Amino acid sequence: MAPIQALLCGIVYWLAVGNLPFVGLWSLQRPLVCGFVTGIILGDPLQGALIGGTINLVYLGFISAGGSMPADMALAGILGTAYAIVGNMGANTALALAVPIGILGTIVWYLRMTFDSIFVHIGDRYIENEQYNKIWRANVLFPQMFCAVIAVIPCALAAYFGAAYIQGLLDVVSGRILTVFEVIGGLMPALGIGITLQYIYKGPARVFLFMGFILAVYSGMGLLPLGIIAALVAIIYVQVTATVGSATPAIEGATEDDEEEF
Amino acid sequence: MAQDNNTVMAREGGLVTKKALLHAWFNWETFVQCCYNYERMMGLACAHVFVPIIYCLYKDDPSKRKAVMRREAEFFNVHIEFGACILGLAIALEEQMAMGEDVPGELITNLKTALMGPLAGVGDTIWQGVVIPILLGICIDLTLKGAGIWGPILYTILICGGAYAFSYINFMFGYRAGSEAVLNFIESGKLDQVLTGASIMGCMVMGGLIVNYVKVTCGIDIVTSGSTFNIQADFFDQVLPKALPLAATMGIYALLNKRWSSLKIIGLIVAVGIVFGATGILTYA
Repeated sequence: MAPIQALLCGIVYWLAVGNLPFVGLWSLQRPLVCGFVTGIILGDPLQGALIGGTINLVYLGFISAGGSMPADMALAGILGTAYAIVGNMGANTALALAVPIGILGTIVWYLRMTFDSIFVHIGDRYIENEQYNKIWRANVLFPQMFCAVIAVIPCALAAYFGAAYIQGLLDVVSGRILTVFEVIGGLMPALGIGITLQYIYKGPARVFLFMGFILAVYSGMGLLPLGIIAALVAIIYVQVTATVGSATPAIEGATEDDEEEF
Repeated sequence: MAQDNNTVMAREGGLVTKKALLHAWFNWETFVQCCYNYERMMGLACAHVFVPIIYCLYKDDPSKRKAVMRREAEFFNVHIEFGACILGLAIALEEQMAMGEDVPGELITNLKTALMGPLAGVGDTIWQGVVIPILLGICIDLTLKGAGIWGPILYTILICGGAYAFSYINFMFGYRAGSEAVLNFIESGKLDQVLTGASIMGCMVMGGLIVNYVKVTCGIDIVTSGSTFNIQADFFDQVLPKALPLAATMGIYALLNKRWSSLKIIGLIVAVGIVFGATGILTYA
């Protein structure tokens, strides 16, 4: 990996964890997207999208609420994809490698959340001095500069030096050990789905998990048609229960539901 | 900073110009978590939202401008898109106060605090628990099954477009509808209906994801005189294919409910992978 490629990986990581929603929080932070961008940097966008997408399965339902961050999916997506492309490894092996990286990455998030408090006090001073046109510095400029320092440097170094060693590591990993990696990688998506279920596997929705499961097992249909069927089923359910339960017209609730899903 | 030559008001007879309101919303949606921190969470971001607004409200009263900014820089934390209506509402209330109506400052602070809890809860569940997993699940599926690079591109367009559109609509709803309408909406039970429908849709798609992407099979062969009985091919695939991925997922879900951290579960998966993978009891297919 060329030094400039490693640096670009670091910059992608900064944009992903910097939490500018337009480029970051909901999009670039997801391994599907940052893996794809890493693929562009390393000259293989398709492979980047495929590996990033596979790594992303672990982080489907990871919820960051109240300032907590269970895993740094951006670092896992960028470094996992970079190592996989450089070392020419399979997507599931890359996934098994990416998960521990994601755990390490949370350090960056907690550093940010802690040290950003400093800039709040700078903002307070701007308010006291009535320099309101400077507040954007405290809210955007300084914290993002700080974030760039703590994100770009470690990620670029890890990409550069990790890629140099990954081939040697992979020569050791073969046969039985490779099978172990693949089994771990195959099981990991169950964690991502399990975490999502904690939020939605409730009350009347429970039975629909098994409906979706059986439908997918025996029809072999892709997730897009299944998602459309699921949306229709949800609308029907809400309409029927609203008609049975009370006199509230159900159409409004159902259409809102529909809009938000697509 | 002078908004004098821009006299199109956001509301008839109001003080806030259309341009300032749009600017305020843009500051919210774009910069809300740029300085996310444990001390005040999104407090400074709220102050940033009010920068274009205060010059509309108090053209020549610096002390009142400062009072607004101090009040809005307090602790605040909510789901970005679902909570956008709270900011719109706060602007509307500050506007009423500036026009001389009897709106105490504590009321604004209290309303913000009272609304952020329920909207954060519902917002995080629907947005991060349903919308993103479904959209991501479908786009990853498309990516791996032939769409290639169009998967991430489609996902990025949909989620960014959806986030900006939804937060704009919600922000303006909060500004125009006022506190009573926002409270009524939250208490009307419509949010519950949306939550139920979203959970049903989410559960069905998760069922499909288990089938497609949790990959574990049993590698045990039982060799009896002359014939081999492969547990995966001759038992699971006959009775219920993908029974093992379903069991693995529900097992992990049960452990999460027992307050196992995801870190602990990752450790368990690694241990299971090493023990059962090396012995060939579990295989990857």
